[in-house]
Amino acid sequence: MPIKWVLHWQPNPGTTVNTQILTEVSQCVEGINGVKEGRWKATLSFYKPMVREQANATEFPRDFLGISLQEQPNKYYLVIRGQRLIVEADSTIQTIMEKLQSYKTRVALNFEGFQYQLGDFQLRVGKVVPIHSESLRGIVMEMEYLPISSWEKSHQIMGEFFDIWQEALSKRSLPGHFVHIEPNFAEYGLSDEYSSQHTAAQYASIMAQMIATAQSAQAARN
Amino acid sequence: MQQQQPSPAPPQTAAISAGAPSSDQQTAEAPPKQVALAMDRLAQAGRLIADIRIGADRLLEALFVAASEPHQQSSKPLQLIVKEEASMRQYLQDLRTIGKQLEDSGVLNESLRSRSNSWGLHMPLVCPDGAVVAYAWKRQLAGQAGASAVDRTRLALKAFTDQKRRFFPHLDDAASVESAKKKHCAPVVLEELSELRTLSDILTLVEKEVPNVKTSTYQRLEWLKRASLLPSSESSIESSKDHGFHSKFRQGSVSNVTADKVSVIELLFPSIFRAIISLHPSGSTVPDAVAFFSPDEGGSYMHARGFSAYNVFRHITEHASLALQYFVGINAETALYTLLHWVCSYRTILTKVCSKCGRLLTMDQQSGLLLPPVIRPYRNFSAGKVSSKSSSSEDQSANPIEAFHVACYSEAA
Repeated sequence: MPIKWVLHWQPNPGTTVNTQILTEVSQCVEGINGVKEGRWKATLSFYKPMVREQANATEFPRDFLGISLQEQPNKYYLVIRGQRLIVEADSTIQTIMEKLQSYKTRVALNFEGFQYQLGDFQLRVGKVVPIHSESLRGIVMEMEYLPISSWEKSHQIMGEFFDIWQEALSKRSLPGHFVHIEPNFAEYGLSDEYSSQHTAAQYASIMAQMIATAQSAQAARN
Repeated sequence: MQQQQPSPAPPQTAAISAGAPSSDQQTAEAPPKQVALAMDRLAQAGRLIADIRIGADRLLEALFVAASEPHQQSSKPLQLIVKEEASMRQYLQDLRTIGKQLEDSGVLNESLRSRSNSWGLHMPLVCPDGAVVAYAWKRQLAGQAGASAVDRTRLALKAFTDQKRRFFPHLDDAASVESAKKKHCAPVVLEELSELRTLSDILTLVEKEVPNVKTSTYQRLEWLKRASLLPSSESSIESSKDHGFHSKFRQGSVSNVTADKVSVIELLFPSIFRAIISLHPSGSTVPDAVAFFSPDEGGSYMHARGFSAYNVFRHITEHASLALQYFVGINAETALYTLLHWVCSYRTILTKVCSKCGRLLTMDQQSGLLLPPVIRPYRNFSAGKVSSKSSSSEDQSANPIEAFHVACYSEAA
């Protein structure tokens, strides 16, 4: 499967993300000859355990995520980031979880936006919005290099593409920048050959970062 | 007054490279319509060129008449010249317009060639020497000319050989000129290679000299079967050996029984690229086509005359075809060994920066795509240089061959 870098928008301290930034980012992609192809969407859910006794609550992981990706419509990815666990399950696991009532969705987020083709690269730009809401919580991007599926071998070329992208975007003087976090895939038990589980690991890392950013912004406001 | 000598290609000054908007207009029409329009325009261009020739003749005639009767006061030649000049100007203007339309639709350059692959039709391509390729013989293969399958094949082969001869002569001329100047390069390698008689020898030597490469050989039909099964991990190929699949997947080995039928070589650099080389005739060591693909690609289009779905490998394949012709033109016996080493130099495609601009990715002006340096020069390439420097460690600085982006190379040349 082609390798993919998932980026998220880091607003400058004291600023927040808004739809204007999203528009500028999309225009920048078209500016480097990106051809808009279609829509893309992913969803992410934070789960909390339904425990009878509150005392046991601490035994259960607090960062339990479920992710569904457009490229794998029949799969659902469950991640416990703290323990570096990823499981690829059938998408019906969500029905099972609902029936079992063992875990409940605390927060559910949609990542939705457009997909662009730039030759052998594919870019996706998406806004992060809670389900049933329109308020923008963040911006994510996916950068994919289609011919290669080795993470290590493609690292240099993806790094240069990332630099080219940052350079193109910096001309617009936006209050923030995109960040790429590279999780240690070996810790998750993943190999050099890219897969959707690698994508899930990247999204889990991003969530941790976005929460931390939001919390520090909240603290700064209070 | 200079006689106008029109050429099949329109004046370069009038040509403007195809920009994105005009190619969008073209792609709005269905491919058969595009191809029909292109053929129409080529026919129109032909008629205009004939008109221009006739006009030039008339002008010469008028000049001749005026020169042979210098004392006559008649203004008839002058009027004739003025009239012809006006109509010539119009013809040339029309030719410029058609030339621009042809350029925009990708007939005179290759900008749309790789993109307009839908419906199995190719846009006709007019080469610098006037030959039209990639359409005539395809038409015959499609059965539009000739009655039976045998006739069609015979016609297709004839048309193809004719066009191959017309399409490649300037390359073959260049190759012979270059080889005359650089003959001292070839003998160095020739002594070592005189012992390389069989395909197996060549492949074993290449595997020894180049780290990380896996070579395999196949008969033509075997390769097609394998290509359709790709992409698959190597482990599943191993297990399929038990199902009676021919044991041609062992690295570098050619079974003695069917060595005379081997016609496909596969060079695999895991996670980087896969190159397919076909040999003609089967069982010989003379390469006749080469193509590059992503290591994850698969399908029946993966063969030595096929094209990858990815731009980077398509560009490399085009360049590699020229290199192959060059190596075969210099010395057909050593061509395979040289070609294999040259192909192996692409193992750094994802890491080696351009020797001119120092970057890995740049925007290719012609196609508007970001590409790594896909050009590795072949004219001064000597496999002897590469093999003597090979060591146990994969050291990039020991790899003497340079890499260039398409634009960087044409500037440097």
